[in-house]
Amino acid sequence: MRVGIPYFGYDTLALKGFLEELGADVVLPPPTSKRTLEIGVKLAPELVCMPFKITLGNFVEALENGADTLLMAAGARKCRFGYYHYLQEKALRGVKNDFKLVPVSQYSASEFIFRLMPGLFGVSPVKVMQAVYRLLVKSALLRDFRRLLNQKRAVDFAAAEQVKGTALRLIEQARTVGEMKRVRLELHRLLGRNGKIPVVRVALVGEIFYTIDQQANQEIEKELGRLGAEVVFERCLYNHLRYLLHSDFGYQRSRRLAKPYLAECPGGEAIRTVGEAQYFVQQGVDGIVQVFPFTCMPENIALEALQRISEKNKVPLLALSFDEHTSNTGLVTRLEAFVELLRRRKNARRVFGN
Amino acid sequence: MTMMRIGVPRALLYYRYGRLWEHYLRNLGADVVLSPRTDEGILAQGLACVSSEVCLPIKIVAGHLLYLKERVDAIFFPRLDYLYDGLYACPKMIGIVDVARMLLGEEVQLIAPSIRGDFTRAHLRAGLAFNRNPLRVWQAWRKAKLEVRSGLISEDIEKPVQAKRRVGLIGHFYNLGDEFIAGAIKKTFEQNGYEIVTKEALPEGVLLNRSGFAQNIRWVYERELYNAFEYLLDRVAGFCMVVSMGCGPDSLVAEFMRSRAQERSVPFLLLVIDEHTGTAGLVTRVEAFVELMKRRQSGRDAGN
Repeated sequence: MRVGIPYFGYDTLALKGFLEELGADVVLPPPTSKRTLEIGVKLAPELVCMPFKITLGNFVEALENGADTLLMAAGARKCRFGYYHYLQEKALRGVKNDFKLVPVSQYSASEFIFRLMPGLFGVSPVKVMQAVYRLLVKSALLRDFRRLLNQKRAVDFAAAEQVKGTALRLIEQARTVGEMKRVRLELHRLLGRNGKIPVVRVALVGEIFYTIDQQANQEIEKELGRLGAEVVFERCLYNHLRYLLHSDFGYQRSRRLAKPYLAECPGGEAIRTVGEAQYFVQQGVDGIVQVFPFTCMPENIALEALQRISEKNKVPLLALSFDEHTSNTGLVTRLEAFVELLRRRKNARRVFGN
Repeated sequence: MTMMRIGVPRALLYYRYGRLWEHYLRNLGADVVLSPRTDEGILAQGLACVSSEVCLPIKIVAGHLLYLKERVDAIFFPRLDYLYDGLYACPKMIGIVDVARMLLGEEVQLIAPSIRGDFTRAHLRAGLAFNRNPLRVWQAWRKAKLEVRSGLISEDIEKPVQAKRRVGLIGHFYNLGDEFIAGAIKKTFEQNGYEIVTKEALPEGVLLNRSGFAQNIRWVYERELYNAFEYLLDRVAGFCMVVSMGCGPDSLVAEFMRSRAQERSVPFLLLVIDEHTGTAGLVTRVEAFVELMKRRQSGRDAGN
C-alpha cells in the first residue's frame, strides 16, 4: 500500500516514521511549491480557507507520485477543518479515480488504535500503540529541534542553516527510543548557542497548520531568525497529540489564561492562541506574531482578544493572514519593520528604563 | 425605581428570536430598547472596531452594539453555543459575545446566557437576573411564547411548494432578514414576478432531517440550509444563495449545493456579499439570473 500524506512542517517526519513502522510505503509529495498551490486553488471552492487548498495540492502531487491511499485528518467540530475530506475527495475524483481517501478522525483515540489503523494496515492494536508511543517521542524530538534551531538562527543564522539538513537526517533515521535519545544529545551539540543570547524574542501563535507548516507560512521562523529574533512557540504536533490523548497541560493553562477574554471556546485553536499569547507575555516576550489563513473563523475572534492583550501589556502584535496572493516580499518587509520596532523599544527601555 | 433599559441589537439571532426576546424582557418588567434598522452609519461604526476579515453580519452586529452602548443599562445578547443534537453554531457566532464584552467594556452590563442544547433553560436562567422569583420568570416566558405564537402568520406553510415561478433563496436568516443586506435581492426577484421561498417557510420536519448527507454537517444552520435546499431541489425554478464573504461554513456547504444543483441542472446563483457590495451590481446579476431561469423554463415547456 502506497500511502500519501500532506505536509505538516517538520513534523511530517514523525508521521512518516509512524506510518512506516506500521508497514506502509509512504509517498511524500514534492515540497509545497507554487505549482502545488495552483493545483489546489484550481480545484478548490473559491472561498474555502488556505490549508484546504495546500493539502489538496499536496494530495494531487502525491497521487502523481504513485500514492494509492491518502490519509487526511478529520473530525467535524466547529472549525471547517473537519469537513475538508468530503470536498477534497470529490475534487480529487475529478483528477484520478483509483485511490482511497481515508479520513482519520482525530477525536477518538480508541477508534484510531483498535479499528482504523489495524483495519488499514493489518497490524495488531498493540503494535499501533507502540508506534504511537514512538510517534510521541519523535514529535517531542522534532519540537526540541525546532526550538534549538530557532535559538541558533537568532544568534548565528548561517551556521544554523548549515547544520539543519544534517540534524533532520539524523532525526529521520532514528527509529528506536534509545536512538532518539542519542539524537537529542547530538542536536544540543550541533545547535548549541555557545552562550550567545538572542536580542529579541517573538512568540508565534495562531492557527495550527500555519504555525507548524513552514512551507505554508513561507518560512516565517527562518525570516525572523535571519533578522535576529528568536521565535518561541507552543504549537507543534507533540502538543496536539497530547491534547488528543487528553494529557496536554499546556492546554489547561491556555484555557485558564484565555478565560478573561474568551469565556467559551469558539472552536479551532482560538483558546490556545489567546492563552499562549498571554502566557508568553507573562514570560516577557518582546512581540507577538499571529499567523492564520485568510477568513479563518476562530482566529479572527482570537485576534480581537490578542489586540486587548497587546494593548494592556504594551506588547506589539503583528497579525498576518495568508492567502494564495500573499507575497513573500511583502511578508518579509512587514517582518523587518516589526523586528526593527521591537529592537528599538528594547533599546529605549534599556536606556530610559521602563 | 426606574425600569431597567435593556438593549437588543437588531442583528444576528434577533431575526429568528427577536420577537420572543422582546416580549419576554417586557414581561419581566424591562424597558426594551431596540437598535434601529441597519444603515450605513451603523455599519461604519462596526467596521471601525472589529477585524476587517470577519463576515458582514458580525461587522453589522458590532455596529448595533456600539449604538446601544450609550443608550441602555444592559444589553441582552445570548450566545448560541449548540442547539439540539449537539449541533454547533459557527465559531464567529460563539465568539462574538466575547468580542461584545470587550467592545462594551465595564459600563454596560452584558446579559449573555449561553444556549447549550436547552434553549428554554438558558433564557429562564437569564430571567432570574431580573426577577428572583423563578415562578414569575417562568410565567413571563410562557406568556411571551404564547404572545409570539398567536402573532405568527401561518398560512404559507402548508401550501404545496410547486408553483413554477418560485425561486429558492438560500441564506442565513440574519442576512436575508436584514433589509440592508438582502433587500435589493428580494425586491428584484419579486419585481420580476418570482415568489421567494426561504427555509423559514418550510416545516420543521424538513429542516431537522438528519438522513443523507445532512448528517455529516455539524453546524446547526448549515444543516437547515442544506435540508431546505434538498427539499426544494425539484420544487423551484432556481436557487439563489446569499453568502457573506468570509463565512466559513457556507464556503463548504455552498460547494456541495452548487455541485448538486449542477447534477440536476437546476440554475444556481452564488452571491457573495460584503460591505463593498454595491446594490446595482447585485441587481444586475439577479436580473441576468432571472432571465436564465425564464429561458430554461420556456425551453422546458416547449420540450414537453
